[in-house]
Amino acid sequence: MRRRNITAYGFLAPYLLIFAAFWVWPIIYSFWLSFLFTRRQPWTFNPNTTWGRLVEDPAFWNALKNTLVILVVQVPIMIALATVLAVLLNSTLLRARGLMRFAFFAPVVVGEVAYAAVFRLIFSEDLGFVNKALAAIGLPEVAWFSSPTAAMALIIMAVTWRWAGYNAIIILSGLQSIPDDVYEAATLDRVSPVRQFFFITLPLLKPVILFCVVLSVIGTMQLFAEPFLITNEGGPGSATETLGLFLYLQGFRVLNFGYASAVAYTIAALAVLISLLNMWAGRERA
Amino acid sequence: MRRAAALAPLMLGLVAASGAARAQEATGEITIWSWDIAAAALERVAQDFMAQNPGVTVTVEDLGNQQVFDRTLAGCAAGGADLPDIVSVENHEAEIFWAQFPDCFADLTTLGYDETAAGAFPEFKRTELMAGDAVYGMPWDSGPVVVFYRRDFYENAGVDPSTIATWDDFIAAGQKVQEANPGVSMTQGDLNGDTEWFRMLANEQGCGYFSNDAASITISQPGCVAALDTYKKLVDAGLVGAANWGEKISSNNAGTVASQLYGGWYEGTIRTGVPADQAGKWGVYQMPSVSADGARAANLGGSALAITSASDAPEAAFAYLQYALGSSEGQVTMLREFGLVPSLLTAVEDPYVQEASDFWGGQAVWQDVLATLPNINPSRGTPFFGDADAILRTVQTGFLNGEYESAQAALDDAASQIEAVTGLPVAAAQ
Amino acid sequence: MTTLPAAAPLRSRSRARSRLWRAILLHAVMVPLALLWLLPLWLMFVFATMPDQGIFSPGINLLPQDRFMENVRALEAETGFLRTFVNSVLVALVYTALSVLLTSMAGWALVRYRFWGKGLVLAIILGTLTLPYFVVVIPQYILVARDLGLTNTWFALIVPPLFNSLGVLFMRQSFSMMPQELFDAARVEGVKEWQIFTRVALPMAKPTLAALSIILFLASWNNYLWPLLVATQSHMMTAPVALGSLIGLTRVSWGAIMAGAVLLTAPMLLVFVFLQRWFMSGITAGAVK
Repeated sequence: MRRRNITAYGFLAPYLLIFAAFWVWPIIYSFWLSFLFTRRQPWTFNPNTTWGRLVEDPAFWNALKNTLVILVVQVPIMIALATVLAVLLNSTLLRARGLMRFAFFAPVVVGEVAYAAVFRLIFSEDLGFVNKALAAIGLPEVAWFSSPTAAMALIIMAVTWRWAGYNAIIILSGLQSIPDDVYEAATLDRVSPVRQFFFITLPLLKPVILFCVVLSVIGTMQLFAEPFLITNEGGPGSATETLGLFLYLQGFRVLNFGYASAVAYTIAALAVLISLLNMWAGRERA
Repeated sequence: MRRAAALAPLMLGLVAASGAARAQEATGEITIWSWDIAAAALERVAQDFMAQNPGVTVTVEDLGNQQVFDRTLAGCAAGGADLPDIVSVENHEAEIFWAQFPDCFADLTTLGYDETAAGAFPEFKRTELMAGDAVYGMPWDSGPVVVFYRRDFYENAGVDPSTIATWDDFIAAGQKVQEANPGVSMTQGDLNGDTEWFRMLANEQGCGYFSNDAASITISQPGCVAALDTYKKLVDAGLVGAANWGEKISSNNAGTVASQLYGGWYEGTIRTGVPADQAGKWGVYQMPSVSADGARAANLGGSALAITSASDAPEAAFAYLQYALGSSEGQVTMLREFGLVPSLLTAVEDPYVQEASDFWGGQAVWQDVLATLPNINPSRGTPFFGDADAILRTVQTGFLNGEYESAQAALDDAASQIEAVTGLPVAAAQ
Repeated sequence: MTTLPAAAPLRSRSRARSRLWRAILLHAVMVPLALLWLLPLWLMFVFATMPDQGIFSPGINLLPQDRFMENVRALEAETGFLRTFVNSVLVALVYTALSVLLTSMAGWALVRYRFWGKGLVLAIILGTLTLPYFVVVIPQYILVARDLGLTNTWFALIVPPLFNSLGVLFMRQSFSMMPQELFDAARVEGVKEWQIFTRVALPMAKPTLAALSIILFLASWNNYLWPLLVATQSHMMTAPVALGSLIGLTRVSWGAIMAGAVLLTAPMLLVFVFLQRWFMSGITAGAVK
C-alpha cells in the first residue's frame, strides 16, 4: 500500500506541484491581499479600502449589473439558439451538412483578439460594414459605440456569434446519444416533430443543456476580452464594463491589487453560487 | 546628491552649449517608448543627436499612448524589469507613477538637471514632474487648445470663424456648416467615453478634477458644470460626430469633418496626415468661450520624458533629453516638422513661430496658438487622475444619455464617488 | 430512416410531400442563418485584402481584392508579426506537450491506483472546474512578475497556465475504459509501472490524446489575458497580444490588422476542417461527465 502511494504520487507530483504553486498559493495569497491597502508602498492592513469600498462602489455595482444583464439576456438566447441549431443540424433532411456545420462551428476556433478586431471594424459607426448595410436596406444607422444600449447589444451579438456553435456541438453530441427508436415509435404514433422536440428531445437533453448553462455562466462571469477590445474598455463610459474588465482595470491599470483581489473573490463566489443554483434548479424538475 | 554637486558645473556648460559637449563621452544604446506623432518627432531628433554623438544608438518604439502607460506601470510593478531607458509620460498622468513607484525612475537632479536647467521651462509644466526634492521628468511639449477648421466648408456655409466667440455662436455656425455641406460633421468627439472635450472646456473655465494643490476635489465647481452643460448642448445639437482618435484622422482625410478641437500638437497630425489636395484648406481659430467675455484658452495634453532606474546608460539617456527637450535646436525641429508645441521658453521665441504657413492658407498658426499660452489656467493631474477620469467617463456617458437631472447633479455624483475612492475632500460650493 | 412498407403508397406520398415542405422550411431557416454566421469570417478575409480606402468606401464590397501581401508586409513592418507568430507556435507546442503529459500522468494515477487522499485530489480537480480563472490571475501575476521577476520569459508564458482539470478528467475517463487486466498482466510480467504507462496505456489512448492535444493547442494559441500580462516586450509577445495592441492604433491600417487576424485564424480553421472528428470529441469531452 505504501509503495502504491509513492507510485501514485509520483505520477501526480508534477501536476499537483503546478497546482500548488500557481493555484493554491495564489488563492490563499489573494485572500490576504484582499484586506490590504495597496495604493501606496508599503502595503497596509485596511479592509475598508477593499471590502468596505466594494459594498459602496457604484463602479463595481455597475459592472455587476452589466454582467448580470449579459447573463440574463445573452445566455438564454444563446442556449436556445444552440439547441435549435443542434436539432436542425442533426436533421436528415439537411443538405450540405458539412458546410452548415462549418458555418456555425468555425467561430469556435477563432481567437478572442481576431474576432474582436473584426467586430470592432465591421460595426464602426462611420462607414462600417453593418451601418452601410443597414442604410442600404433603408434602416437607420446605429451608434454602436456611443449608445449604451447599442454597445451592450453589440457585445451580446458578438459573444453569441462566438459561442453558440460551441454549445451546439455539445448539445449535438447529447442529441446523438438519444436512441433512434424513441423517435421512430413517436413517428408511428403520429406525434408531430414539434411536439417530439418539446416532449422527447428537450427532457432528454436536459443534463447536457444544464452543463452548457453552467459553462456559460462561468464564461460570462469572466468576460473580458470582448468589452476590452470591441467596445474600447467597456465603453461608452462604462456601459459595457463587465466584472472581468473591472477586475482587469483595477488590477492592472490602476494597480490596485488589494481591491482587485476582493473583486476576484466576489466573482468566484458568484460563479460558484449561480452554478450551484442552476444545478439545483435542474435537479428539482428532473 | 554629492554626485550631483560634482557634476553640476559640467551640466551648466552643457545647457549653454546645446548638449553636444557632455554627450561626446556618453555611449550606449537607449530605447524610448512613445506614441503616434510624438514618437516620430523623437525619432527625427534622434537622427541629429546620433550624428553628433556617434557612440550612442537611439531606438524609438511607437507603442500607442495607452500601451506606453500600461506597460510602464506594469514594468514598474514588476520591479523595473523590461523597461526601456526613456519613457514618455503625459503630464496629467505623471504623478500616478511617482506616487506608486518612485524607485522606478531616475532622479534627474542626480544626472545634472539643476535649477538653471529646470528654470528654462515654465512653472506649470514642472509641478507634476516633481515629488519632494526629486525631479523625475523633463518637460517636453504643451497643448494650447484651438479649433482646427476647414476653410472651404465654413465658406460654403458663409460662416466667418472670426465671428465665433461663444459656444452658442459655434452651435449656430455648426448648423449652417452641416446644412451647406451634406455628410460633413461640424466636429467630432469620442462619445465612447473619452473625457477630452470635458477637460478642455473645464480647463478653459478654470476648473479641473482637483484643486491645484491636489488637496481637494473641484469637479463639481461651477466652471466644470458649465463645461459639461456646454458639451451636452453641442452633442444634443447633433454637431458632435462620434469618433475616436483614429476615426477622427480618417474623417480628416476623407473630408467629412469641418472642425476639430484639440491641443496645438494636433497641427502636425493634420498637416502630415491629410492628402495633398487639402493643403491651403485648413485654418485655426481661438476656442470659443461659454460667455461673450469669457476665457478662450485651455491646455490639453503635453508630455514629459522620464529616465527609468533600470536604464544601463542613464548618462546617454540624459544627454538625449538635453538635446531633444533642453535645446532650442531639438524643440524647434519638433515644432517645425511635427507641430509639437515646445515648452522650452527660448524655443517659443524662435523666428520660425512668426512664419506664415502655406498649408494653413497663409496663416501664421503658431503665433495664434502660442498667443493663448499666457492665459492658460494651470490644472493638476494628481496621483488620482486615473480614478477620477474613470468615474467621469461613466458619469459623463450617463449625463449625455439623460440619466441625470442636471450637470450639477451629475458632477456632484462624480465628486462624491471620487471622494470615496481617493479620500480627498470635495471643495465647498462657491 | 427505415424503409417504408411498399403496401402503403398513398400514405407515403403524403408523407413525402410533408417531408419536402419540411426540408424547404428547414433550408429557409438554415441557409440565411449560416450565411449570416459566415459573414464576419468572410469579411475578415475580404478586408485583409483591401487598402483602408476600400474598407471605408461608401459602397459595400464583398469580394476580395489583391492587397493581402501588402497588408501582411505592413503588419510585419509595424510589429514584427512573424516573430510573435513563431512565439505563439512554440509556446502552444511546448504547452500542449507538457500539459498532455502532466494531465495523462495524473489521470492514470487516478484510475490505476488506490492511494491515500485520492478522494481529495478528485474533489479538488472537480472543484476547480467551476472556479473562474480570474480569482488567481492577480496573485499569479504578482508571483511571476514581481516575486520571481520572470516577465518576458518562456517559463512565464508556458508554465503557470499548465494546470487544467478538464484534461485530467478526459484522460481518466479514457484510461478507465481500457481493459484493466491488460495492465495487471503486464505488472505480473514485471514491467515497470512507468513503462506500463508509456508503452501500454498511452498508445491505447491515442485518439483521446489527439483530441486533448488539439483542444489544448487551440486554448494556448488563442490565450490572451495571461500573455498580455507577462509578455510586455515585443520580442516575447504572442501573436494575439501583438495583434490586440494594434487595435485602436492610428498608424496601423485596418487591412493590416485583418491580415493579422487571418494569419491567426486560418491555421486553426484548417485544423478544424481536417481534424474535425477529434476536435469535436475534445470539445464534448467535458459534457460526457
